[in-house]
Amino acid sequence: MKKRILLNIFAGMFIAVHLSWAQPIGMLPQSGEAKEVSSLASLAKIPILDQGRVKPLDTYAENVLLQFSGRRSLNKKPAIQWFARLLFAPEKTQDDQIFLINSPEIPMALGVEPNKKRHYSYSQLEPGFEKLAQLAEAAKRIEEKQRAIVEKEVIRAHQNVRLYIQLTNALSFAFVHKDFQITDMEIINLLKLEKGRSLYSYLDIIRRADMLYDVTKPLETKDQSAWTQQDRETFRLVTNVFHWTSFYANSTFTIIPDTRPEGEWLSPWRAIISELQNPFVQEEVHLLQQLAAYYWDGKQLEFNFSAKALEQSVYQRLNVQQKKSADRIPIELIYNQTKPFLWAKLFYGFAFLVFLFSLLLKKSFTKNIAFVFIILGVIPHVFALMARIVILARPPVSNLYETFIFVGLITVIFGLVIEKFNKRWLGILVSSVGGFSFLMIAGKYAAEGDTLQMLVAVLNSNFWLSTHVISITIGYAGCCVTGIIGHLYLIQSVIRPNDKQLLQLTYNALFSALIFGLMMAFLGTMLGGIWADQSWGRFWGWDPKENGALMIVLWCALILHAKISRWIGPLGLAVGAVWGMITVMWAWLGVNLLSIGLHSYGFTSGIALTLLIYFFCEISFLAVVYPLAKKRQK
Amino acid sequence: MHPIRKKLGKIPLFKILSSLKITVICLGLLYLLTFWGTIDQMNNGLYLAQEKFFNSIFFMLFDFIPFPGARSILWVLFVNLICVATTRLVYRWSNIGITIIHLGLILFLVSAFLTFHGIEETNITLRENEGTNVSKSYHQWELSVWEDRSGDTKSVLAHDTAHIHPGDIFNFDQYGFKVKTKIYHQNSEAYVTDQGDTGIVNDSGIRSIVPVDISIEPEENYPAGIFEIQDNSKNRELLLYGGEIQPTRVEINQKVYAFQLRRRRSPIPFILKLIDFKKELHPNTEVAKSYQSLVEVITPDSTREVLISMNEPLRYKSFTFYQASYAIDEFGRELSTLAVVHNPSRVMPYVASLATFAGLLIHMLLMGFRPRKKI
Repeated sequence: MKKRILLNIFAGMFIAVHLSWAQPIGMLPQSGEAKEVSSLASLAKIPILDQGRVKPLDTYAENVLLQFSGRRSLNKKPAIQWFARLLFAPEKTQDDQIFLINSPEIPMALGVEPNKKRHYSYSQLEPGFEKLAQLAEAAKRIEEKQRAIVEKEVIRAHQNVRLYIQLTNALSFAFVHKDFQITDMEIINLLKLEKGRSLYSYLDIIRRADMLYDVTKPLETKDQSAWTQQDRETFRLVTNVFHWTSFYANSTFTIIPDTRPEGEWLSPWRAIISELQNPFVQEEVHLLQQLAAYYWDGKQLEFNFSAKALEQSVYQRLNVQQKKSADRIPIELIYNQTKPFLWAKLFYGFAFLVFLFSLLLKKSFTKNIAFVFIILGVIPHVFALMARIVILARPPVSNLYETFIFVGLITVIFGLVIEKFNKRWLGILVSSVGGFSFLMIAGKYAAEGDTLQMLVAVLNSNFWLSTHVISITIGYAGCCVTGIIGHLYLIQSVIRPNDKQLLQLTYNALFSALIFGLMMAFLGTMLGGIWADQSWGRFWGWDPKENGALMIVLWCALILHAKISRWIGPLGLAVGAVWGMITVMWAWLGVNLLSIGLHSYGFTSGIALTLLIYFFCEISFLAVVYPLAKKRQK
Repeated sequence: MHPIRKKLGKIPLFKILSSLKITVICLGLLYLLTFWGTIDQMNNGLYLAQEKFFNSIFFMLFDFIPFPGARSILWVLFVNLICVATTRLVYRWSNIGITIIHLGLILFLVSAFLTFHGIEETNITLRENEGTNVSKSYHQWELSVWEDRSGDTKSVLAHDTAHIHPGDIFNFDQYGFKVKTKIYHQNSEAYVTDQGDTGIVNDSGIRSIVPVDISIEPEENYPAGIFEIQDNSKNRELLLYGGEIQPTRVEINQKVYAFQLRRRRSPIPFILKLIDFKKELHPNTEVAKSYQSLVEVITPDSTREVLISMNEPLRYKSFTFYQASYAIDEFGRELSTLAVVHNPSRVMPYVASLATFAGLLIHMLLMGFRPRKKI
C-alpha cells in the first residue's frame, strides 16, 4: 500500500521527465557473456496464458518466433532456445535476423539495405524504429479494407518490433541497472540492501518500498535548496522507480496467475506493481529472478529446480478449468517436438514419388512400398489430430487451418478405401496427392500464428462442431476426392483410351465418391441450417458461407441428374467432378474473402491471387484435356 | 406401375414437366443465382441481394432482360418433382433410397414455402430489470396512435406502412377520425430548419423531410411522412419521422392522441423481463466466450427464470428467443438484444433434412451391394 502512496506522491512531480532513457538493451545482470544452460526442457514446460489459453512456454516461444520470422525455429535450433536468450540475455538476440519484412520498401524507408532473405535483426531496425512507428501510425489511419500489402506489412513489422522490445524487458525488474545505483552507504543501510555492491535491480528497491517511503517522506516538506546529497540520491531512486513502473506496467508476458476469479493472468511487472503483497506472487517473481541468474551463470541443476518450483507454484493457483489445460501440457510438448504433420507430409510425398518410380519400373512391390508410406503418413497425421482434440478438449475442426488437416486425413483414408476395391494405384494416388497437398496448404495457414485457438462465442458448442463442421468438411473431402479422380479419369482417357477396364474402375470410384460427397455435403449443409436455426433464429439466410455449401450440393445433384438423363457421359461427369472441386474451393476459401455475412470468424485475406491462379489452372486443364480425351474416345 | 400413373405419364404435359432435363436446368440456374446473389451482397448487402435474386419471381438483367429469380425456379422444381413422383419414380424396395430423397425434397420445398410466408422475425432490447410483452420489427414500420392518458396500460391502434402510398386513408374509427397520407418516404432525412409557420404539427420541431436513397442495410432506413388528420371539426397536417423518440400529441374531440411512426410491434405471449446480462471473455483477451441473458418468463399462470445464451435459445410455443447482441448505454447500463422468431413451421426443415439424408444414405448403401453398371 505504501508503495502505491509513494508512487502517487511522486507521480505529479516527475511527469515531465523524458522517457528516452528506457532502452531495452543493456539492462543485463552484470557485464560479460551469459553462460546459458544446456537444457531448457524445464523452462519449456512452464505454463503461460496467451490468447486465452493456458499453454506451455515452448508453444508461446514458437508462436512468437513464428509471428516475427515466419519460422518455428532459428538456425535449426528450437524456438525456446532463442526465447530463453530473449528473456534472460536479451542483448544476445540483437543480431538475430528474426524480423520477416516482405516489402523491400520498408527496410529502405528505415535506411536498411533490403536483403534477399527478407529477414532483419533488431540492431538493423532499431535506428529507424521511430520512423517505423510513424509509418505504422499513418497506415493505421487508413481503413482496414483499403490498406495495401505494404501498409499491412508496416503495421505488422512495427507490432513485432514493439513486442520484441517488450519481451526483452519482461524480466528487466530482476536485472541490476545503473538507474538503481546507490553510492551512499547510509541509504543502503536504511533500505537494508545487500552490502558490498552499489548496483541493484528494480525488484531490490520496490521490495523495500515501505522503507523508501519512510526515507523520502520528509522531502515533501523540506525545501529543495536544503536537500543533502543523500536526499538527492534518494529522490533519484524514487524517480527511477516511478518511471520504470509506469513504463513497464503493460508488459504482455502473462506468466503469473491473478488471484481474481476471472482467471486472468498478469505479467511479472503487473504482478509486482499490483500484487506484490501476495506471498505466491512474491515467490514466483523471486523464482523468475533466480531463473535469470542461473541461466546467466550456466547453473543447469539450479535452473531446473527453480523452473520446476515456478511451474508447481503457478499450477496450484489455477482454477479447475485452467488446471485441466495445464495437465495437457505434456501432450502439447510432444506434439510440438515430434512435428507430426511434417512427417505425415513427407511420407505422403514419398508415396507419390514411389508411384512415379513405378511408372518406370513396373514392379508390383512398388505399390506395397507406396502403401506402407501412406500408412506411415497416416500414423502421425492421426496422432496429431488426436493430440489437438485432447489439448483443446473439443472436436478437431474449428478454424480454417484445421479444415485442411482434417480434409487431408479424410482424403487419405478415402484413398485407402478406394485402393481396396480399385487395386490399380488410384487410391494410392488420391491418398498421396490429397494428403500432401492439403497438408502443404495447412502449413501456409500455420505460418499465421497459433493454430490452437480459443473459440468465439457462437462456435463454442462441441455438439455442433462435432456434427455440422465435421460433416461439411467430410463433404468437402468427398468432393475433392471426386475432383482428383475426375482429373485422373480425364488423363487416363487421353493416355490409355483403350484400357476399358481401367477406365471402368476409375469411373466406378468417381461415381461412388460423388454420391458420398453429395451425401456428406448435404448433411453438413442441413446441419448448418439447423445450427443457424438454433443460434441465429433462421434455418436459411442466404449468407455467403451457406450459399457456398449449397452450391456444392446443387452442383453434385446437377451432374448426377445430367448423367442419369444421359445429357453427359462419363467424360462429362469427370469434367463436372473437376468443376465440383472448383466449387468446393469457392465455398471453402473464396467466400471467406468477401468478408461479408455472419460467418465473420472465418474471414480471410491474401489468398485471392492464389485462388484465381488455381481456378485458371483448372479451367486451362479442362480446356486442353477434355477435347483431347473426346478425340481419343472416338 | 399403377395404370393411372402410366396414363398420366403418357400425357405430353406431364412428360415435359417430369423431364430430367428440366431438373438439370433448374439446378443449373439455382447454382448460377446462388453464386450471383453471393457476389452481389458485396455491393448491395444481404437484404437487397436476397430480395433481387432469391425472393423474386424474376428480375431485370441490364434493366431490360427478364431473368428468373430463385422463387420461380423453386416453383418449377417443385412441379417437376411432383410430376416425377407421380409418373416416373419407381416405387419398389430396391429404389427406396431414391424415393425417400425425392419425397424429402418435396417436403423441403413445402417447408421453404411455409417458412417464407409464415415466419416473423423481430427483436427485443431490454435493460436489466426491464420487461416487455411486445417485440420490434427490424425494418417494418407502422403508424401507431393511442390515447394519451395516465394509467398503467395503453391501447394502441396501428397500421402497417409497408405498402403505403400518398392518398391512402387509415381509419381510426374507434377514435373517431381518419388519417390520410399526403407524402410518404421509405427513407428520409428530417430537418428542423425554420420555414415559417407551415401549419404542420410535429412535437420534435421537425419542419421538413427530404427523401434519400434506400439504404442497403434495411435497418438503416428511416421513413417519414406528412399525414392529414380528418375529423368532423377540422383537418390538420401532421409530420412524423421514424427517428423521433417521442410521439407527437394532437388534441382531437377534447382528447389528446399520440401519433408515432415506429418500428412495427408484435405481441409475444408472455412478459419477458431481463434480470441479468453477462458477457464472458476468454481470459486476457477481448474474444467473447459467451453472452448470456438471465430472463424471467411471466405468464398468467407462472413465473420462471430462463438462461438464454448463444446456441441455447428459449423456446415457447412457436416463438424462439435468441441471444443476438448487447450494448452499453450512456449511463454504463447493459442492454441485451434478443432476436425473436415466430415460425410455426420450424420443425419441417428438420424433418425434410433428415428424410433426404436418410434417403441418400440408404441409396449409397444399396449401391454398395449392387453390381456395377458398365459405362
